[in-house]
Amino acid sequence: MSLGNYGRARLRSALTTAGVAIGTALVVLLIALATGAEENVRRSIFSIGDLRLVTVQPFQPGANGLSAVPRTITDDTVAKLKVVAHVDGVYRQFDAPLGMVVEGGDDATIRPQGIEPGAPVDRGDLLAGRHLEAGDRAVAVIPGNIARLVAPNAGAAIGRTVTMRVGGAVKLGSTRIGGSGTPRDYGVKIVGVFDEQASQTSFRIPLEDALLAGAENRGLTADAIRQTTGYSGLAVEADDSTNVADIVRAVQELGFSSFSLKQVVEQIDQGFGVFKGILAGIGGVALLVAAIGIANTMVMSVLERTREIGIMKAVGASPRDIRALFLAEAAYVGVFGGILGLALGLAGGQIIDRIIRQLNPRTNPAAIFVVGPDLALGALALALGIALLAGFLPARRAMRMSALSALRYE
Amino acid sequence: MNAPLAVEALDLERTYASGHTTVAALAGVTLAIQRGEFVAVMGPSGSGKSTLLNVVAGLERPTGGTVRVDGEDLARLDEEALARHRSRRVGMVFQAFNLLPRLHVVENVALPLAFAGVSVSERLRRARAILERLGMTARAEHRTNQLSGGELQRAAVARALIGDPAILLADEPTGNLDSANGAALIALFEELHAQSQTVLLVTHDAQIAAHAERIIRMRDGRVVDV
Ligand SMILES: Nc1ncnc2c1ncn2[C@@H]1O[C@H](COP(=O)(O)OP(=O)(O)OP(=O)(O)O)[C@@H](O)[C@H]1O
Ligand SMILES: [Mg+2]
Repeated sequence: MSLGNYGRARLRSALTTAGVAIGTALVVLLIALATGAEENVRRSIFSIGDLRLVTVQPFQPGANGLSAVPRTITDDTVAKLKVVAHVDGVYRQFDAPLGMVVEGGDDATIRPQGIEPGAPVDRGDLLAGRHLEAGDRAVAVIPGNIARLVAPNAGAAIGRTVTMRVGGAVKLGSTRIGGSGTPRDYGVKIVGVFDEQASQTSFRIPLEDALLAGAENRGLTADAIRQTTGYSGLAVEADDSTNVADIVRAVQELGFSSFSLKQVVEQIDQGFGVFKGILAGIGGVALLVAAIGIANTMVMSVLERTREIGIMKAVGASPRDIRALFLAEAAYVGVFGGILGLALGLAGGQIIDRIIRQLNPRTNPAAIFVVGPDLALGALALALGIALLAGFLPARRAMRMSALSALRYE
Repeated sequence: MNAPLAVEALDLERTYASGHTTVAALAGVTLAIQRGEFVAVMGPSGSGKSTLLNVVAGLERPTGGTVRVDGEDLARLDEEALARHRSRRVGMVFQAFNLLPRLHVVENVALPLAFAGVSVSERLRRARAILERLGMTARAEHRTNQLSGGELQRAAVARALIGDPAILLADEPTGNLDSANGAALIALFEELHAQSQTVLLVTHDAQIAAHAERIIRMRDGRVVDV
């Protein structure tokens, strides 16, 4: 039962409500900004690759950069990883020395990448032809830019045989680097052309061919390479991205360092959690100020209405009725201020978004402020909760007032 | 079995501590008021009349003795139950009217029912019915600042009656009225009494007390003769 508000008190309530609205709007805006930034980063990460992948690297865990301690990835490692729970597939990779496609001229620098059929890198990005298949030898799936150096277009490159020179001097950008080992030429047939956006130099060839090229470059046998040098890396695929952490742990227990986008995403999430917390804290201070405003308004209201409280008690209002009356008043300010603040935050986000785009038309098209249903409901609940908390002490004071002394109050 | 007495007090005490001394506003009051009686309480200032009324009304708790109103021992009621006692078992009329200025007359009259869980439409309907009974229909939708003292006190009586109380309590109800309005109010009490309403009235004025069936005289917190 609300008896409404009157006169001077109405202005005071309006100001208090405005305070709550501004605090809520600030919380909404700041968290929406953080959420928008987070979604942007996540989206760009998802576009890089698969969250189910764990890449095993040929060093010890903890080692990085210059201090890396090499460790050999052998078929034994592969066999051990294949039986780890939640592992769907293990794909070996061996990178032969840098080289070039002779027919493509100086600009046709390539990194011959020996992979297994069905490897995660060789999926769903074809411009023409096919991916590598089991039993393939002396074939290649090549980037579109290289294909266009040897044929008028990607489609026309399919079926051509080109000369892959491994280990010679190559041009990388504008610098020339000397070759390593003994340069050697291999004839390979182009079976597929992929969209070069992922890599302009990856030259996908069967694993065996790459091992052979690497071995011959150094005057060794492929078996020797397998056992002493080891593979360049393994792509381990989890059955689900939620199990990636388990696989990473297994890889580390085997003594290898690993990389997974999933873990990067988790770190980013953590970072954004802290970021959001800080922003929410700033907004929270605004809400705290609003809460003090509510408490102040309520204390004044209780004082001003002392006689009224006395009258209501005298005609039968119980302590609980009185408390409910004042808490309802606080809740009203909280809900109303919360809704107003949410609307203000949404509108403010739109306006700021539009201004930023007008000032810089090349802004990323994704939304800058993102308000999900949980943020909207959370903001309302926060406003209501804070209002009730602020109203609690004044309401209790009203509740405990003696009816007779309240009636005597002038 | 007899119907319970409207009011039954036994050795009722109420003391106030003020500084080092204690004041006994009620120093052992024993009395009985039958249902349907119209009783006036008289006595000099400070003799404990208001305190007695407030205890019966459930606005004040006694510090000793017992008091039953309509058979209910008030000492056994907790705060919530005492609030219900005030809204349903007794109706109180004050010298200072004590109406809420921002509510209409009809809303003021309906107020006690708001705390008794009665729906808005039902309590307004009942408030209008009582106002009609007291000849106040024309004033139902007015604000209290548009009413004369006599009308304000009539509205207060209507509010006291809305819970259909076992006893109507009035503390100097004519204190803020001129003699004509005072006389009209007492006529209203007599009329209510004729309709078998129990009335307990505190007054200084012997002329007003003369309208009651019985007068209880108090002095220094005690009943002096009945
Ligand atoms: N809340 C209180 N605190 C201290 N003393 C009180 C309180 N209420 C009443 N008293 C004292 O109790 C005594 C009785 O007061 P009460 O108001 O009942 O008298 P009364 O008969 O109604 O007087 P009056 O005719 O002036 O209204 C007085 O001495 C008064 O000062
Ligand atoms: Mg008095």
